[in-house]
Amino acid sequence: MRSPGSLKQEFLKKWIMGFQRCSSSKKSMSVLDRKKAIKLSADIAMASARKGTTCWSRALIASASKDGSDKHLVEQILGPESERLILMKKFSTGALVCSKRIRSKKILKRSCGIRRTRKCAPQAALASSIAKRLVRKRTQVLKSLIPGGEFMNEVSLIEETLDYIISLRAQVDVMRSLAIASELVNHN
Amino acid sequence: MDIGEKDKYELEKRNENHINYQAPGMSPDWQFGGANLTSTPMSLVSSDNPMAIGSSCASASVVDSFGTSLWEHTSNSQNLGFCDINAQNGASSSNGMGIGKGGNSLRSTIDRPFDMSWNAASSMLRGGIFLPNATGILPQSLSQLPADSAFIDRAARFSSFNGGNFSDMVNPFGIPESMGLYTRGVGLMQGPQDIFAISGMKSVSVVESEKSKLNSTEASKDASLQVENRATQESPLKNEKKSESLVPSNEEAKQGNGGSGNESDEAEFSGGIGGQDEPSALDDLSLEPSAKGLSSKKRKRSVQDAEVDQVKGGEPPVEAAKDNAENQKKGDQNQTTTINKTTGKQGKQGSQASDPPKEEYIHVRARRGQATNSHSLAERVRREKISERMKFLQDLVPGCSKVTGKAVMLDEIINYVQSLQRQVEFLSMKLATVNPRLDFNIEGLLAKDIIQSRAGPSSLGFSPDMSVGYPSLHPSQPGLVQAALPVMGNTSDVIRRTLSSQFTPMTGGYKEPNQLSNAWEDDLHNVVQMNYGAGAPSDSQDVNGITPFFMS
Repeated sequence: MRSPGSLKQEFLKKWIMGFQRCSSSKKSMSVLDRKKAIKLSADIAMASARKGTTCWSRALIASASKDGSDKHLVEQILGPESERLILMKKFSTGALVCSKRIRSKKILKRSCGIRRTRKCAPQAALASSIAKRLVRKRTQVLKSLIPGGEFMNEVSLIEETLDYIISLRAQVDVMRSLAIASELVNHN
Repeated sequence: MDIGEKDKYELEKRNENHINYQAPGMSPDWQFGGANLTSTPMSLVSSDNPMAIGSSCASASVVDSFGTSLWEHTSNSQNLGFCDINAQNGASSSNGMGIGKGGNSLRSTIDRPFDMSWNAASSMLRGGIFLPNATGILPQSLSQLPADSAFIDRAARFSSFNGGNFSDMVNPFGIPESMGLYTRGVGLMQGPQDIFAISGMKSVSVVESEKSKLNSTEASKDASLQVENRATQESPLKNEKKSESLVPSNEEAKQGNGGSGNESDEAEFSGGIGGQDEPSALDDLSLEPSAKGLSSKKRKRSVQDAEVDQVKGGEPPVEAAKDNAENQKKGDQNQTTTINKTTGKQGKQGSQASDPPKEEYIHVRARRGQATNSHSLAERVRREKISERMKFLQDLVPGCSKVTGKAVMLDEIINYVQSLQRQVEFLSMKLATVNPRLDFNIEGLLAKDIIQSRAGPSSLGFSPDMSVGYPSLHPSQPGLVQAALPVMGNTSDVIRRTLSSQFTPMTGGYKEPNQLSNAWEDDLHNVVQMNYGAGAPSDSQDVNGITPFFMS
């Protein structure tokens, strides 16, 4: 069990590492570039805080390490755990295959469900089928939101969502505090 | 009027009429849709009863003339007329007489149970009893029914039974909902003790019979099953009754094995529950292949559910049916939805509000070794898991405590995740604009009055932890950490504290719901609201908002 304070601390530490990496590599960056670097390091720091225990963190790092430019950042933040990158890459590719299977299954299920609903009485089936369709749609949206969410089944998706929300909240808190502190410093 | 012509058909047709008419109740509801009735039966006609309408759909034409003639012949009191018809119907059904028989000889024997049923049961029940008899008896009337030949065949087959298998006969026919009444009536046939229970159940299920014949039959089966189970927990009696509600396709098998097969089927059901009956798996298996068709399986499942519910402790049949329906949702969408409605609960909520009803299904029902059964089992376990996790999410996501249902919960979660991601984006942009060189001069932050002005016990408490925790940090970083934490503590002290206290149980998972719920409930919402309050205005500022700030 991690304390939220330790989570934030870890995140901040790794985030600063990423900052330094970025700032040392480039002399001048536009606002957008800086923003991207900030966000990227924040995301990677957040994901590394989980140390590969969660699917979304692995997917996040895998996607970040795909680009050559960000790869170094990831490696630096992760440190000696760069071997994990390779594993994560494999994981992501394997997940792609799984996702195809899952998608085909879903298409099958959807078609079967549609057939079933037509048979039964319209009133009775309509409510439940509408609800199910809603749930399915929203699950799809959620999967698109969570990094690496397309490869999960419903149960693990909710778990990942829980963890992701916690991490996001910690990230937002740290960033907000830093932003406020920076503003104060700049003002003063 | 066709009274004269119909005298011959009186007995048989009366049954049909009774079945249709009795649905509405003792009131003279003979004429629902029939236009042939003369003025006399008009008093009998009751268009109010939905059941009558539904039941009369199939045999409205049959009912027409019969009703009039029937009433005229019978005594003034409807009861008497019913009695006669019932007797006739019962006789025909119980005797196993072929089509066209009046079964008068059995009248006396049947009179009593029918009388009892009349007194106790609702009109629907009576209608149900008679309908099967009538349909099986009269070829002429059958011609008016939608499924003539098939119906006649099955009626003939049914006649061989004890009259308890009408449900089976009726179901596969695809006859309109009115047949559902028959199944209920069949339950009545079983015995007076069941009538009272059945009537209660059937009144509920009857309302739904209009939805679909299949549903009605299933509901009635559930009702009859449950009633039967309640009435008699003994295996022999159970078997008898269960035989009725067995899958219709078992008819052929039933003829030969009939009672034994049904018994074994029912035994299997109860065996899965708790071994109330002798679990004769072999018989069940033998019956299984005969019980072909998805409908039969569905009915079995509903039956099983009904039995299980009874095992649970006599849950109301309505609820049981509803729960069962929900459990079997994956397999039988139509069934479950209709059953839900049958129980009088909202179908929509039944599917959406999966959390509360799921809690009742802690036990796992033993199913036959079929792919569908194990699948449904796993499905239910999976759904329970999901509902469990959703509960955790409810605590985590603000404003979700009052929301029930997967769809709405998922919507809230999506909104929350999106808002958090947007906040991250906004804050990163803000930081980017604030720091032109990405240096984040932590030392500067430290040096400035931030720490001095805001240094407090809480922040100080953090610093040593931070420095100790990160010896490997760059020299500037510990300072940053120390500075950042105090800053964090100062600016969002309350938020951090509460969040930290909340996060401790949270990160461990949603595996500790009690802690979670207790911890989150009070503070989290306040905290999140604060966060939202802080974040919302900043978010709404947009980039344009940042630049003026930066400029200033």
